[in-house]
Amino acid sequence: MTQWALMILGFGILTRIVAPLRLVALNLPFGSYFDASVKALVALALSAIWLFMWDRQVRYYFYRRRG
Amino acid sequence: MASLDWDTIAILVALGAFPVSLALTRFFMYWNSAHGIVGIDVHKLARPKIPEMCGAAVPITLIVFAVIYCLITGANWILFTAYSLVVGLTALVGALDDRLKLRGIFKPLLTLFCGLPLLILGLEFPGQVYDPTLRVPFFGGYHLHIIYPLTILIVISVTSNTVNMLDPLNGSMSGGISIVSGGLLIGLLLTGGNSSSIFLYASLLFSLLGFFYYNRFPSRAFSGNVGQLSIGASLGALAILGRTEIASIVAMFPNIQNSFFFLSRIRRFTEHRELKARPTRLLVDGRLASSEDPAAPLTLVRTLVAGSPAKEEEIVSDIWGLFLASTSLAVITLFLMGVML
Repeated sequence: MTQWALMILGFGILTRIVAPLRLVALNLPFGSYFDASVKALVALALSAIWLFMWDRQVRYYFYRRRG
Repeated sequence: MASLDWDTIAILVALGAFPVSLALTRFFMYWNSAHGIVGIDVHKLARPKIPEMCGAAVPITLIVFAVIYCLITGANWILFTAYSLVVGLTALVGALDDRLKLRGIFKPLLTLFCGLPLLILGLEFPGQVYDPTLRVPFFGGYHLHIIYPLTILIVISVTSNTVNMLDPLNGSMSGGISIVSGGLLIGLLLTGGNSSSIFLYASLLFSLLGFFYYNRFPSRAFSGNVGQLSIGASLGALAILGRTEIASIVAMFPNIQNSFFFLSRIRRFTEHRELKARPTRLLVDGRLASSEDPAAPLTLVRTLVAGSPAKEEEIVSDIWGLFLASTSLAVITLFLMGVML
């Protein structure tokens, strides 16, 4: 449930904040491709944070059950 | 026919996938046994030999029924060609791995190319295969005309391999993915998905159920990579074709967790057969317990038996329970697609 809510929030951040940004001038050669690449990296970083939080949660559960 | 709507026709045609998959699985059980294509069920004390690669019944059924549906309804053949090619190519990679025992890195690499039919046909026929606008619950959608097509290749590789990794116990994969495809089918029916996607989800569900009949505990047929990879690729392709991208990620949470923890501990793509430290061990009473080896990967099954050992069928039920929970969230996600903050 937590992972689900965090994932929706992450996609929300990408939709509302990251996607409308112009991170690289589009009139540069391959500008739109660089812009898309930087946004993809932001998405990748958010995914890594999401997985890290999931990792901590499951490890806590696993070691608590094992006692 | 005229009095039936397209969704009903789609489900009626897809229903035929059940007996076909059932008969094909039975055939592969007989043929593979006769030709020595067998695997050992390592989670049983008697270590019985079970026919392998019987999951080939599923991709064959899926492709045959995609053709039948196209012929009956005159549906968009480009979409069905892309889907059938993805399923067929991943089945081929799986069959190669089953027969040649490829190294762990080759499966993710080869399955990357299996998404090419979706990408190429999508670029050649814009708007007929995929829509590069990603819809997000509460937040609307955003257009990804550069990233989306490239992501297709990764999606097919990830979904096929993650499904491949979560089939350690009898019926865990076939039952789990049946729950996922059934749930997403219900979600699409309730939220007004298009008939082609409804048909493809229904045909995946019914062909999986045909295979599940023999794959459930105690298994009489093993899927093999041929089945696991193609079933995973089918889910990935359907996420793109049916526009259920985010809902599919949610439904596959158990797969994601299993693969992530496996890879985070092992830190490389490898085959289960190459592991030095097994995640679970079989006790003398036939129950499964968590491995005491600190180097063992933290798989989903190991997490489930962390507290106390359990019987195989109990663990499989727990895995289905997780799929049921994640699929329920996926259906809610589909409903929330239309809700805006």
